[in-house]
Amino acid sequence: MDRVNFRAKVLTGHLKNHENLAVDLLQTAQCVNYSPPELSEPLPDFNTKSLRKLLDGESMDEIDYIFNLMIKSHLFCPRERGGKVFISPDFNKSMEHQREMTMRRIDYLREQGAFDGWLTRKGPDAERSGFARGITFGVYDHSLGIKLGVHFYLWGGAIQFMGTKRHHDKWLKPTEAYEIIGCFAMTELGHGSNVRGIETITRYDASTQEFIITTPCESAQKYWIGGAANHATHAVVFSQLKINGVNQGVHAFIAQIRDANGNVCPNVRIADCGHKIGLNGVDNGRIWFDNLRIPRENLLNSVADVSPDGQYLSAIKDPDQRFAAFLAPLLSGRVTIAAGSMNITKIGLAIAIRYSLSRRAFSIHPNEPEVLLLDYPSHQRRLLPLVAKTYALSFATEYLKNIYVNRTRESIKTVHVVSSALKATATWHGMRTLQECREACGGQGLKTENHVGHLKSEFDVQLTFEGDNYVLMQQISKALLKEISAAKRRNKPVKGLGLEHLNKPAPIIPSRLTSSTLRTAQFQTDIFCLRERDLLHRFETEVSQREAQGENMEHIFTVTYQIAEDLGRAFSDRLVLQKFLDVEATVPAGSLKNVLGLLRSMYTTIVMEEDASFLRYGYLSTDNAAVVRKEVLKLCSELRPHALALVTSFGIPDALLGPIAFNWIDANAWSSVKDSDTVFPVFTNML
Amino acid sequence: PKPVLNPTLAGVLGSNIFHGEPPESVLIKESSNVRIITLNRPKQLNALNLEMVSRLLEVFHAYEEDPNVKLIIMKGEGRAFCAGGDVAAVVNDINKASWKLGANFFSKEFSLNYLMATYSKPQVSLLRGIVMGGGAGASIHGRFRVVTDNTVFAMPETALGLFPDVGASYYLSRLPGFFGEYVGLTGARLDGAEMLACGLATHFVPLEKLSLLEDTLCKANTSDPKIISNIIDKFSNKNPKLKEKSQYYRLKTIDRCFSRRTVEEIISALEKEADKNMDDWISWTIQSLKKASPTSLKISLRSFREGRLQGVGQCLIREYRMVCTVMQGEFSRDFFEGCRALLLDKDKNPKWKPSKLEFVSKDMVDRYFTALDDKDWEDLKLPARPKSNLPSYAISKL
Repeated sequence: MDRVNFRAKVLTGHLKNHENLAVDLLQTAQCVNYSPPELSEPLPDFNTKSLRKLLDGESMDEIDYIFNLMIKSHLFCPRERGGKVFISPDFNKSMEHQREMTMRRIDYLREQGAFDGWLTRKGPDAERSGFARGITFGVYDHSLGIKLGVHFYLWGGAIQFMGTKRHHDKWLKPTEAYEIIGCFAMTELGHGSNVRGIETITRYDASTQEFIITTPCESAQKYWIGGAANHATHAVVFSQLKINGVNQGVHAFIAQIRDANGNVCPNVRIADCGHKIGLNGVDNGRIWFDNLRIPRENLLNSVADVSPDGQYLSAIKDPDQRFAAFLAPLLSGRVTIAAGSMNITKIGLAIAIRYSLSRRAFSIHPNEPEVLLLDYPSHQRRLLPLVAKTYALSFATEYLKNIYVNRTRESIKTVHVVSSALKATATWHGMRTLQECREACGGQGLKTENHVGHLKSEFDVQLTFEGDNYVLMQQISKALLKEISAAKRRNKPVKGLGLEHLNKPAPIIPSRLTSSTLRTAQFQTDIFCLRERDLLHRFETEVSQREAQGENMEHIFTVTYQIAEDLGRAFSDRLVLQKFLDVEATVPAGSLKNVLGLLRSMYTTIVMEEDASFLRYGYLSTDNAAVVRKEVLKLCSELRPHALALVTSFGIPDALLGPIAFNWIDANAWSSVKDSDTVFPVFTNML
Repeated sequence: PKPVLNPTLAGVLGSNIFHGEPPESVLIKESSNVRIITLNRPKQLNALNLEMVSRLLEVFHAYEEDPNVKLIIMKGEGRAFCAGGDVAAVVNDINKASWKLGANFFSKEFSLNYLMATYSKPQVSLLRGIVMGGGAGASIHGRFRVVTDNTVFAMPETALGLFPDVGASYYLSRLPGFFGEYVGLTGARLDGAEMLACGLATHFVPLEKLSLLEDTLCKANTSDPKIISNIIDKFSNKNPKLKEKSQYYRLKTIDRCFSRRTVEEIISALEKEADKNMDDWISWTIQSLKKASPTSLKISLRSFREGRLQGVGQCLIREYRMVCTVMQGEFSRDFFEGCRALLLDKDKNPKWKPSKLEFVSKDMVDRYFTALDDKDWEDLKLPARPKSNLPSYAISKL
């Protein structure tokens, strides 16, 4: 019947047109108007600033200060689109240009004092503010974040953690002032995640009291070294240390690779890694050492030293422990990556959600306005669970930052495991979210200026650097196994890593789930703990069975990867849920707490729906899985009215989102064509 | 189509119903579809009082609905466009009754600022003479700001123990580099050419051409911003010369110093510059910061920094919290002291409390940015805006 009416109306329209041809020609056709979601969406029923405070905590002011610095400088390429000014790097420029701009931006930020105290101030607050800076620069451009991260976290961190007073006194101040530029030469062509296998060799010459660094073969060339291709003057070089014919394992040395004029030093060869799929503002390079001599004092000697006469001295006898101490600087890198990933998901989601609140497609009923994208349940299902996950993972990474900056000798193991878990989970979530957001924006997602699509290639590297995610998952499982085996050996309850629930009887899952059960914190905790407990048990059983059959441990861990990965995810998810509940507990009853509860339920429900292990190992029956699936839709529709407020609370400034997040019709209007590619010159009339 | 007259408007505006009363403080002239609003308290340099703000708010609301109004022209009678809000009257009210009377004034004034910023019809402000504080709020938010030879702009609130309000944290924070921080913290005076250069003004029209411009706009009788802009362009001096010693040439130094995190760091960066290269401008800048209320400086800087990341509505809501906290006077009474020293006793020697920047803690600053702990008080309620047909100029400010 509708169709008949519709046709009738169309025909009437035609006839009318003929009657009033003259009039109609003069009237412009009704166009799609941009209507800002701020005016059409309901007002937020919670305080968006309070929610942002839960995400950014103490660092909120620091973060906004950095945003301010970037928004206000012409070096950050301000462009006007649809009446607003956006900043983003010019990705349509050559690799060389992008690298040059990265350095100029760093120069500007240094001049404004943005790096003051980054390495020379000590204590948890100073470290927390360091994280905030590094991560916030990356919101503008991943290259800027990484370039700074290499210099401060990797080079600076290596000096701080692997060096001793003589190194601190000599290098930290000039590093902070950018009088020298550092890089971190660990990875080789032949060895990445397996650092202990690197092939660079360093020997000691007692007659001159110098170390001699050698690249013995092509696979030993240092590879992907950020900063090495163009700018770095100094490198922390990782190398096997051979003393009197005995290999003492991997050690780190400071080597100057360029002089003050930027010329490569003698006995050093440097080549470019070339154009990459993203991150072209960072000059990744390759380095060969041809018997490069460096002073004895350049050994970073916090755990081992070589005496002037060439004796190897170390307080830590166990080479495994020595190696673990060496890797400490990588920890801060993982924390940064986990937290930085949350920022990129926030950018992607803020853009995709804002677009979906202003873009319409198809009418459900004839002659009615087209429907807003986010009013389609399918579109909600694509984006809203990702918003919930972003909140959950952000709370967890905030926790990770806190345990990192307050780390002690006892807690460092926890930091290791938690950072591995969150680095992998957060980066996987980031890439997946960007892909979904890119698709949700349709063709607009392809335009570089709209960010979402382009961010994918910029951030892809996160999934493998500082530890391949799959390798990290297996490491978590190994660590968990070690933890419970040790507890069993000592006949003591398990303590730490949130594993205390293993000491209690296994939780019971109701045989018939209902919507209200699914939303209780008790049930959510129970099923996440059950999954972790059961997978840990299965992993333990499989490993010990194989051990009993005489297989060696390395082999066992390579063949049990499936369950190890499931366990790694189970651990991460349970940890994230616990941290979410911790945050919720700090919020007084009211609308903010309610929306947090909704987000938590969305997070747990979507994990249950998406992770096959719940069905595979029977934590959910097929009937219950159907209830879970239904609940996802319900939660989507309940979160829908909060969508705008939830992405506003991310706190990403408008200038750092893309034009499609705002008035995309004006941004694409003919009148904007003539100056669309020029960098915005004056601010006249921008108020 | 036959024009439909809005009956209420016809009643209010059609005739002067205040016969025999003192002259109206807001005059309105109708010229076909153009409305010329003149601020008319020349003896007080057109300082805005509650009556004027209420009237303007009412008129702007009415004109938005009225299909007969296409363009609004704002100007001031006498040698000022508008020297600001009538702060002395506000202080008087507060002293006599309660700070809530002051809150009522600011709530109306800020609502007017929001309405102007997001207005669906063009507003052309002809800025002869003084444009300060509240006067800036009544013009800068509008679409066209025409300055001229004798225009003087300033946001002098920090010297008064207040802070740049009326949405200044929105428009000052959007000036090039950190010029807005400089203008807002020091209270520096800008002339017409400087206003045009930094973007506070859209056009510079020589004084002698202003009335002709007004007539031409009335004759054009249009609401099309492009046509309006072209008309003003015809009367404009496109490149008015900045004076030789213009502070605008100091933008690099301003950026280097006013980009710092805190007021203390800004002052010490300026002092470092002074060590390198002392001149009148640097010493004036340092002096004006040292003379201003320390509390005002700190809350102002924070307000600009937050404002840069917010829409105009959020800025005004935040500024309303700030101004109410100022008037409540629990943490600092600098506003009253400033008014005493500069407006009433005129001894020009305010005694600020806390007296130094280091005594103004972060916690104290925070208090200005949180909702007031008073059961009768509520956050500023912005006037509702039409959901469609807002021009992109207005949309981009939300």
